[in-house]
Amino acid sequence: MDRGTTLALVGPNGAGKTTLLKCLATLLQPSDGEGTVCGFDLRKQGDAIRERVGLVTVRGYVYDDLTAEENLRFSARMSGLKLGPDEYRAALARVGLERAADQRVRTFSTGMRKRVVLAQLRIRPLELALLDEPYSGLDTQGMALVDEFVREFREEGTTVIIASHQAGEATRAAEQTLILKDGKLSPMDHDEAARSHLAFHSLGASEV
Amino acid sequence: MTSKSGLANVIGIAALALFLVGSFVGLFVVPADGMQGDIQRLMYVHVPAAWLAFLSFFVVFLMSVLYLIQRDLRWDRVAQSSAEIGVVFTVLTLALGSMWGKPTWGVWWTWDPRLTTTAIMLAIYVGYLAIRSFADDPDKRARWAAIVGIIGFANVPIVYLSVIWWRTLHQPPSSPRSVSPEILWTLMFNLAAFSVIYVYLMMRRIRLAKLEGELEQRMAYHG
Amino acid sequence: MDLLRRAWTIVWKDLLIEARTKQAFNAMVFFAALVLFIFSFALGPDTELLQQVSGGLLWVGIAFTGILSLNRTYQSEETSGGIEGLRVYPGDPRAIYLGKLFGNIIILLAVEMVLFPAAAVLFQIQLLPHALELAGVAILGTIGFSIVGTFYAALTVNLRAREVMLPLLLFPALIPMLLGAVNATTLIVVGDPMLDSGIWIRLLVAFDVIFFVISLWIFPIALEE
Repeated sequence: MDRGTTLALVGPNGAGKTTLLKCLATLLQPSDGEGTVCGFDLRKQGDAIRERVGLVTVRGYVYDDLTAEENLRFSARMSGLKLGPDEYRAALARVGLERAADQRVRTFSTGMRKRVVLAQLRIRPLELALLDEPYSGLDTQGMALVDEFVREFREEGTTVIIASHQAGEATRAAEQTLILKDGKLSPMDHDEAARSHLAFHSLGASEV
Repeated sequence: MTSKSGLANVIGIAALALFLVGSFVGLFVVPADGMQGDIQRLMYVHVPAAWLAFLSFFVVFLMSVLYLIQRDLRWDRVAQSSAEIGVVFTVLTLALGSMWGKPTWGVWWTWDPRLTTTAIMLAIYVGYLAIRSFADDPDKRARWAAIVGIIGFANVPIVYLSVIWWRTLHQPPSSPRSVSPEILWTLMFNLAAFSVIYVYLMMRRIRLAKLEGELEQRMAYHG
Repeated sequence: MDLLRRAWTIVWKDLLIEARTKQAFNAMVFFAALVLFIFSFALGPDTELLQQVSGGLLWVGIAFTGILSLNRTYQSEETSGGIEGLRVYPGDPRAIYLGKLFGNIIILLAVEMVLFPAAAVLFQIQLLPHALELAGVAILGTIGFSIVGTFYAALTVNLRAREVMLPLLLFPALIPMLLGAVNATTLIVVGDPMLDSGIWIRLLVAFDVIFFVISLWIFPIALEE
């Protein structure tokens, strides 16, 4: 994949999109084969990859008993960043959570929780952003926020991969589309996918 | 395959022969210990069993390190085989030690450094085999087992030294009395016999493990 | 050092959550006190006997209580996406081990601050004259327990029979540390005319150092998916 492109990864539930993204984020080791991410070897240079890659999962890695700001602070410090309280507030304002900054995430709705995750993503400089079902749980405003972020990433030259089982959503924001089905990755005609508003339904017992 | 099997058979027969000769000599030929009587003859089985128990564990340790470095499942198979055989020798050592202890010192068990260490080593072995039963993926299983094997073995000398300290603070350690050459030679002979038994058992078990591994692989691919 | 800073961030996170939910600490203190009480009850009113075995009972109580804490170590990550939530960040994954280790040590020491006085009452032993030495032994023993425990907890966190496997693996490995802690504590409390406690303290230190190095070294392999 070329650097700086925005790619939509579509396919039915259980096809392995999440698994693929987690492999790219070095959370899972592939059982077979080699690969490089941002120029670094997947198996041997995982640390360099993690420095440049951000992952957004469906639930997100967020602690219910910490406030939104504390979650952000944890994320930033674990990524090696040292930021002041103003910057955390600003990051939360960016995702529309400035009034809920000091509330515990346990009290948040799914959409608000997702916004915390997005704030965590945006706070770090990235070369590759991996978004797994980023639109799930968000209202129209939230989805517009994701699209904004994707646009900003593109302007900054960050590569973006959006995985979704809703083909229309993902391809709207992307330049290219790949479909992962039955263990095979193949290109899909981008305009056709954007127009199709296809939603893939999980088909029975699909072995990944 | 047939030549390997043939070699194993030869070693097996040799092991059996050596063991029979060693036992015969130990039981009937060599004079019994003056103070302890015939029960002392248990030593000819107890000591080699103990020696092999520790050797097996050392092999587990070595293979675990090799596996972690090279990630070759062959080392894991050797480790697993050695652990299983080692458990048998360890239980044998403890049982014989108990049998020896009762008439000699009047107790089934004593917190003697070697016995205690052996008992703890048994617990570590059991843990090693137990953790293997929790992973279906051969690489994961080998990795976890290797970790347990390494840390477990690292503990053995520490446990041994700690128990020695513990006991010496309460009573003086038992010093080995000088042994007559006949007893020594019989012991050495039995030691050699047991070592050959170990080699034979290992050859058989490793080959079995290899077949098990192939079966596992085939089942994974074809379902 | 970046490693320590990230480890400390994990400690901060865990202690903050613990302070807010108070789940573990309260349960542990209650459980520990209960265990000591049962021991004292079972052994009867013989003061001299109680004093002689006080060291052993105390450390058995600490070990059982410690296991509770260890089970929680990585389980607390479960609701937030599992340990992936820590592995996803850059930097040496050993920071996770160090962070969890420091957290466990702190919580266990906090519980012991309640436990030792409880033992003093239940077993009729004097703690104050030797408070400093006892504190030293408690700290060394707790560190040793946590070093090995945090490591094995990471190894067994995904196993089905975790509650059985963790003690099965942990207790044989802890024997030298228990010997050292129990003997040192008993000698300090009951009387140490020949100053033997020094040997045990040295054993504890050796144990701590050796297993810290080994655990730290091997941890990334234990964490592999």
